[in-house]
Amino acid sequence: MFLDAVKKTTESNTNELFENGFGSHTAEEVYTKWAQWQPSLISHHGDMCCEISREWVTAMDFSELNGEDVLTGPRWLREKFHWGCSTFPIFWCEAVRKSILDCGALAALAHEVFISRGVKSVRVQLVQKFSKNSTRQWASNWHDGNTQLEWVNEDLIYHEGCAVVLPDNKIKIWDASAGWWVDPKQRNGYGSVVAVRLFASSNNGAETGFTWGDHHLTVNFWQKIAQVSESFAV
Amino acid sequence: MKIYISGLYCGTNPQPGVGIARSLRGAYPNATLVGVEYSNRCSGVHWQDLDDVWLQRPWEELNLADHADQIRKVLDAGGLWISSIDLEIMWLGSAFPEGHPNLLVPSLPALQKVSKPAISAHKDLPVKIPTFVTTELSDWDLHAFCREHNWRVWLKGPYYEAVRVRSWTEFVTMRNVLSTAWSTDRLYLQTHVSGYEESITLSAYQGELLHCVAMRKRDLTEMSKTWAGDISEVPEEFVSALRGVIKTLNWSGGAELEMVRDSQNQLWLLEVNPRFPAWIHGATIAGHNMSALLVEAVTGEPAQKSPAISEEFTRVVLEVPVRPELPLSPLPEPLAGRVGHSLKHPSGLLQFANRLHDLNVFNHEDDAAANIENGNNGNGALPKTDTANVPTSFVDDLTHFDLGQIETPSFLFLEKTATGLFNKAQALSAELSTEDIKVTNAYSIKTNPDERLIRLAHESGFLAEAISLLEVKKALDAGFNSDQIILNGPGKWWHKEALPEGSLYSVFCDSMEDLTRVVEEYNSGNLKTRVLGIRLRTPNISSRFGIPIDTPEAFQMLVGAVRNLPRDCRFGIHFHMASSNVGVGQWWHLFESMLKWCSSIEALGGRTIEVLDIGGGWFPEDLAKNSGDRFRKAINLIPEFLPHVRQILSEPGKAIAQPSMALAMQILEIRNSYGETREVVVDGSIAELPMYFFYPHRILSRDRQSGAWKSLNRGKTHLLGRLCMEHDIVATNVELPQDAEVGDVLVFCDAGAYDRSMSYVFGRG
Repeated sequence: MFLDAVKKTTESNTNELFENGFGSHTAEEVYTKWAQWQPSLISHHGDMCCEISREWVTAMDFSELNGEDVLTGPRWLREKFHWGCSTFPIFWCEAVRKSILDCGALAALAHEVFISRGVKSVRVQLVQKFSKNSTRQWASNWHDGNTQLEWVNEDLIYHEGCAVVLPDNKIKIWDASAGWWVDPKQRNGYGSVVAVRLFASSNNGAETGFTWGDHHLTVNFWQKIAQVSESFAV
Repeated sequence: MKIYISGLYCGTNPQPGVGIARSLRGAYPNATLVGVEYSNRCSGVHWQDLDDVWLQRPWEELNLADHADQIRKVLDAGGLWISSIDLEIMWLGSAFPEGHPNLLVPSLPALQKVSKPAISAHKDLPVKIPTFVTTELSDWDLHAFCREHNWRVWLKGPYYEAVRVRSWTEFVTMRNVLSTAWSTDRLYLQTHVSGYEESITLSAYQGELLHCVAMRKRDLTEMSKTWAGDISEVPEEFVSALRGVIKTLNWSGGAELEMVRDSQNQLWLLEVNPRFPAWIHGATIAGHNMSALLVEAVTGEPAQKSPAISEEFTRVVLEVPVRPELPLSPLPEPLAGRVGHSLKHPSGLLQFANRLHDLNVFNHEDDAAANIENGNNGNGALPKTDTANVPTSFVDDLTHFDLGQIETPSFLFLEKTATGLFNKAQALSAELSTEDIKVTNAYSIKTNPDERLIRLAHESGFLAEAISLLEVKKALDAGFNSDQIILNGPGKWWHKEALPEGSLYSVFCDSMEDLTRVVEEYNSGNLKTRVLGIRLRTPNISSRFGIPIDTPEAFQMLVGAVRNLPRDCRFGIHFHMASSNVGVGQWWHLFESMLKWCSSIEALGGRTIEVLDIGGGWFPEDLAKNSGDRFRKAINLIPEFLPHVRQILSEPGKAIAQPSMALAMQILEIRNSYGETREVVVDGSIAELPMYFFYPHRILSRDRQSGAWKSLNRGKTHLLGRLCMEHDIVATNVELPQDAEVGDVLVFCDAGAYDRSMSYVFGRG
């Protein structure tokens, strides 16, 4: 039928290193820079200062949930904290008093609140494509433009989120910095997710991996999220 | 090929006509596309893809029979008619009861099956319908529905328009607006579903589903209308079910299923529009030319292929040249100095709706039956009754009054009702108490300081809750001992000279400053109390009371203070939010949320919490309804969070006091009615019913023949208070008995709580 939409073809193959279908980047370039990075953590002084702060976050989250489902994204965190530069290590007692937190700190907080709600959650690292103009702007705002930001590589950026695990090992990825669920229907272009790495222990889905939209993701490995760019070129 | 397309309005809530024209132009470059409109203010008439515009007079003055004849000629001549106007589609269904092969709209019976809110045709689809009720119910029942659903409800019009109402005042105002606009009381309230909006649009001809696609809203206007979206295929299980529904309905034309997907992935069907959606060209951009498919099915003429350009679409605002033959009209004068030149519904859809009512196009009996029958998920309408039930004890109590001898307006103490409610509350607390946790009631004196109620509270084993030392004195005078008194509130030390020498039961501090002072007074021996506690401010619901915990700094300060509390008295926590304001479900979430906060305070502050005061603010029916089960669950939940709690304090004052008094008032004047609405002046006023704006009151009148008390139904009479105040209207839309006379007494029930305690002297000289 003439009206049939051209179906998308989605790949997520860790063995395929050189064809990612995006701009000039090869798969290696996409995530090599951050291959050794671990998800950000909120540290604990082992004292009351941090314990009070952690309790405050989880209690506040339950109040903010306001009777909605536990799988509701904790957007209140993004309403309280602006996105910006954080320095690490960052402790609970510091983090909750900041007005600005970076994606790693926000993702760590979101991960904690999901777990406190009884929702299975895993940490997620992402590589997103923006534009060189955007990354230049971020560099300018964060370091007066004099220093190369470690989380930026040309038009690509390192980003963090967390995923909630649904029945049948499906996941949804929460972007705590944006306050939205990342769309698994990947499309090339500004803001698109280029690569993903999930962190999960063996008792947390590591063996079977997870399904994110049409993607099957194995854990603890960077995987590119590719889409054939000519899909809609008819 | 000649195709007529109606519905060319192009504001921020546009009709689909222009989108259909754009899609058809791409598929049939040589077709003659004729735009049909009923106002030249609908800017789509100027769209370039239209070869001609068939401009009709507005709906309010259109000769419908003549218009139907003209359309029949067009159809008989081979023209196709794609309507994009819901009301026009309903009218066409009645004007062409046998249909017409070229009239691409569903039949009237099919429309009946998809009429909202029940949408009876949904049963075979994998969707649910949000719970709803018709606004033809009594105000008392409507208020209960809103409370039950946490005031997360939408008031929806019969055809168009939906407004979120968050309070009784908002509801009453918007009901009046929508009822007036659409000339019907047949509105409905539907629960809000949190989630993401998505739609399915379909194209069908004579019961055959031609195609369907899904669209997720990706950007919205301030009215929640689509501004951008993405298109995808509909899952096969949905398509299969939809195919069956379309076949059953013998559907022709476009349609849109508007839905919300919640966080559990459940789809909730809000409505079925009997036409293509306004974003229909977005589907064409993605390669799904739904309107071309429809035309192809009717004519057999192959359409040109629509390229799939993008799965995503968005809107922009465009300026286009005005057709010289349809120059712009002048703007209407702002009415009576108001701001703006309202151009809403320029084609006269409101008046058209009225005409359709008069033509009886809609079979409301079938509609009502369908709405009651509704649902594969049990979310049907309540049985229709516009009369509120009144407990028999009210009527029994009223028989003890000689209302002919009472000077009105006058509060009537319903002793049997009050006694029964106190007894019931006491029995419930005894039933809920366990070996480990004792549940005790406390009567909040401010709710109604009438001595008869305070005495009943004392006799029923209640504690007394006071918010000032004057109230403490009143409790003592009524027979309470000081250690049966809970002292609470921000001004509790007002009239400090009245502080009793004996120990109080508990003192709950409203601020950090209050806490500091109370601890000092306690340590110095000036204040004696068995329980020293704090009131927590609800962190996510606006409140002026209690110690805030909504910042880490405030929380840390509180934890520090709790660590320094005197060790020789018990520690308690109080929280309160009126469930009648926030809704029943939200209150129970708040309860659980507060247990969590208390648990954190206990762990971090190093003080065990032994007493929990959970406040009141219950609407009587909400406390009575399943109260045993709900409270039992709550009591069972407490040890999980707070294993050391031994005492629960519950304050059901409002639930008990509110039904315990009624207000009798007399009719002073019955005015001749002009139009539908009748005005009646009474000697009562909002000075005696200050809570009128916050919840409805059941009103009783005495039947002249039988002498029986009966609830007033909904009707067209407004009861005006005696005060020279514009807003002194004590009831709207009630139905007085036909034989009502000046001097008749009306009894307003449910006036025994804050109506009584907050009533004021006004207009009495």
